[in-house]
Amino acid sequence: MSAGLLSLQGLCVGIHAGARRLLGPIDLELRAGQCLGVVGESGSGKSLTALSLLGLLPPGLHAQGALRVDGETVALGGAAHARLRGRRLAWVPQDPLAALHPLRRVGAQLVETLRAVRGLGAAAAQAQAQALFERVQLPEPAAALQRYPHQFSGGQRQRIAIALALATAPQALIADEPTSALDARIARDILDLLDRLRREDGLALLLISHDLPLVGAYAQQLLVLQRGAAVEQGETARVFAAPAQAYTRELLAADRIEALPDSAADAPLWLRGEGLGLRYPRAPRPALDAVDIELRSGEGLALVGESGSGKSTLGRVLLRLARGAQGRVWVDGVDLATLDAAALRRWRAQTGVVFQDPYASLDPRMPVAQIVAEPLRIHTRLDAAARRERAAALLAAVGLDAAMLDRYPHQFSGGQRQRIAIARALATEPKLLVCDEAVSALDAHHRAAILALLARLKRERGLALLFVTHDLAAAAAVAERIAVLEAGRIVETGATAQVLRAPRHAHTRALLAARPAG
Amino acid sequence: MRSLASLPPLARICLSVLAALAAVCWLAPALSRYGPILPDWDALSAAPGTAGHWFGTDAIGRDVFARTLAGGRLSLGIGLLASVVALAIGLGYGAVAGLAGGRTERAMLRVLDVFSALPFLLVVILLLTLFERSLWLLLVAIGGYVWIDLARVMRAEAARLREAPFVLAAQAAGAGFGQRLRWHVLPNLLPLALVYLGLILPQAILVESFLGFLGLSIDEPSSSWGGLLAEGVQELDSAPWTLLFPAGFLVTTLAAFQFLGDGLRDWLDVKRGAPRSEEAAA
Repeated sequence: MSAGLLSLQGLCVGIHAGARRLLGPIDLELRAGQCLGVVGESGSGKSLTALSLLGLLPPGLHAQGALRVDGETVALGGAAHARLRGRRLAWVPQDPLAALHPLRRVGAQLVETLRAVRGLGAAAAQAQAQALFERVQLPEPAAALQRYPHQFSGGQRQRIAIALALATAPQALIADEPTSALDARIARDILDLLDRLRREDGLALLLISHDLPLVGAYAQQLLVLQRGAAVEQGETARVFAAPAQAYTRELLAADRIEALPDSAADAPLWLRGEGLGLRYPRAPRPALDAVDIELRSGEGLALVGESGSGKSTLGRVLLRLARGAQGRVWVDGVDLATLDAAALRRWRAQTGVVFQDPYASLDPRMPVAQIVAEPLRIHTRLDAAARRERAAALLAAVGLDAAMLDRYPHQFSGGQRQRIAIARALATEPKLLVCDEAVSALDAHHRAAILALLARLKRERGLALLFVTHDLAAAAAVAERIAVLEAGRIVETGATAQVLRAPRHAHTRALLAARPAG
Repeated sequence: MRSLASLPPLARICLSVLAALAAVCWLAPALSRYGPILPDWDALSAAPGTAGHWFGTDAIGRDVFARTLAGGRLSLGIGLLASVVALAIGLGYGAVAGLAGGRTERAMLRVLDVFSALPFLLVVILLLTLFERSLWLLLVAIGGYVWIDLARVMRAEAARLREAPFVLAAQAAGAGFGQRLRWHVLPNLLPLALVYLGLILPQAILVESFLGFLGLSIDEPSSSWGGLLAEGVQELDSAPWTLLFPAGFLVTTLAAFQFLGDGLRDWLDVKRGAPRSEEAAA
């Protein structure tokens, strides 16, 4: 057992000293060469914990607690604490694009830090910068130093941010959701990198995430937070083997794959697409390349793939929301290409869409009653009172209260907004519901609830469900069939259970392997 | 919408100055013993302060205080009306172009380019010289000059809204172009447009003053600040106050609008706004 590098006892964070407590009391300890995982849903106080450790709480918030570094007591938020930051404590941001200066070459940003903090000369700093880029496994480190942040992919940018954090030769890295903006495979690579740095350089690592199974694969110690309080703490193996709290079990279960039985096998074919394609101007390859697809009434089909694989594009092409799309779509035997603009708008009453971002998909200037009833305003002649009545019934169907009709979107949580978006999509009693990454912006708790809601609505209303996602567990919860996309083509398709248990295509296996052990 | 209390202090001071100016101009008849038109034959080119003429009189004995305030009423009033005209045109044009996208948008943008390439003031001067001068023609002329930038800003914002998920959701639900425009795009553009009103108003006032200086604005005997400046220049040697007072009012107004505009821009900048509450708590 290595010596404790940093310990923080009785951390409490509140608005002004003594007022309402947002976080705590929490005890945590970072040891050299160990990883501590801090896990919880959004609002549980994970980021507050990290900010308190770094002494970077926003103005108005006060932290109390006993911070000891190498056995010496350091006042939280004091000058001595500030000297630790960026030297012995380093921070890896959630969004590396926001953390890098967009107009300066990444090499210059790294060299600047090396010279300012480590006091290196120009040539030494340049050599050290290249060594750091090699350390974080960036391809062509020398050439990469000369590029700008926008010329890198998300995963590469996160590597650069890690290199920047390492520039000051810290003893502890604090990584706040370092992979939540990345897709599963690249996230895994980044975490592998952090893990190697921990083992080889003896770094202490504080890893913050909402994904318990993912963190469990890397951390030796776990701290589970719920509403600002530590609900479970201890060795990872013990927490996984015998979670003491129902909340921990829920976080663990949120990512487990349980496939649905195929119940729609003999339903009539409702939608058929042939040769669907889309190429964006000046793109090197088509976003979607001659894809065929079939969907029966009441059937759930999951479109799975990494970002850029064309799965969202396919959803939009099927709904005729993309300009310049190729291919033909038959719905109930009718070729959509034969419909004129007005008939196409009438056809849209048979479809509903739920988008990924529940913040952006509701008009901020409309009350919920109007948002939910908008499709009725388009397709029916119901008056305002009748529409309001229908809106109330729709809210009830998605588990919301009719008293919320007069509120505006900003007054709801992410999960509630996604329910509102689903209510709107169901307003005209459609036969097809397209969910474009509808649960990926939600935390584990809300994700499970929305998936259960979608599965129930699909069963009760006989909805055909097209579920676009990068999350295989979510796909399994609502879809009988699955289609795996890579680079604009479908590479594998079949019954969900079969594809997940015995994937035939290498890409499907890679997607499955990228998932943490559940 | 953010509350006005969060406006930067300088912008709030400017807003107060402008409100006071507007109030004084519209209350002028109650404040001044003299009217702006009738001469006081006992005081020709009188210095400021003589016989109740606080700002003095001009060569034919008209009270400069009353004339400055009456001119302010014209300048501010015409400026405001012209800005509203420009706002209506720019908002509508920009919203339609941005929401339409594709070829329509490109064509409408080229039209804007052609408009901005025209030597617009020359065209306005030509129009006002050729046709009988009227308030409407003046409004259209000034509004036509300042709407172009506004239309560009609105076009950009509308193009962003076109791809916004809530507008896409409306399209997916079957909403036609007009419905998306009326229900989602225009209501979401309006707050931005109203703030831009604060930025185009000084432009409109400046153009009006310029036309007034050339004698192309509202006819004698009433004159806006620009017209008063033209008269004042004639009397610079004998009665410099006839130039200095209207000029001072015009400069104060434009400067106040300038600082207010800067303040509004910062205030509008989303990045400086409060973060969404849930993200802040995460």
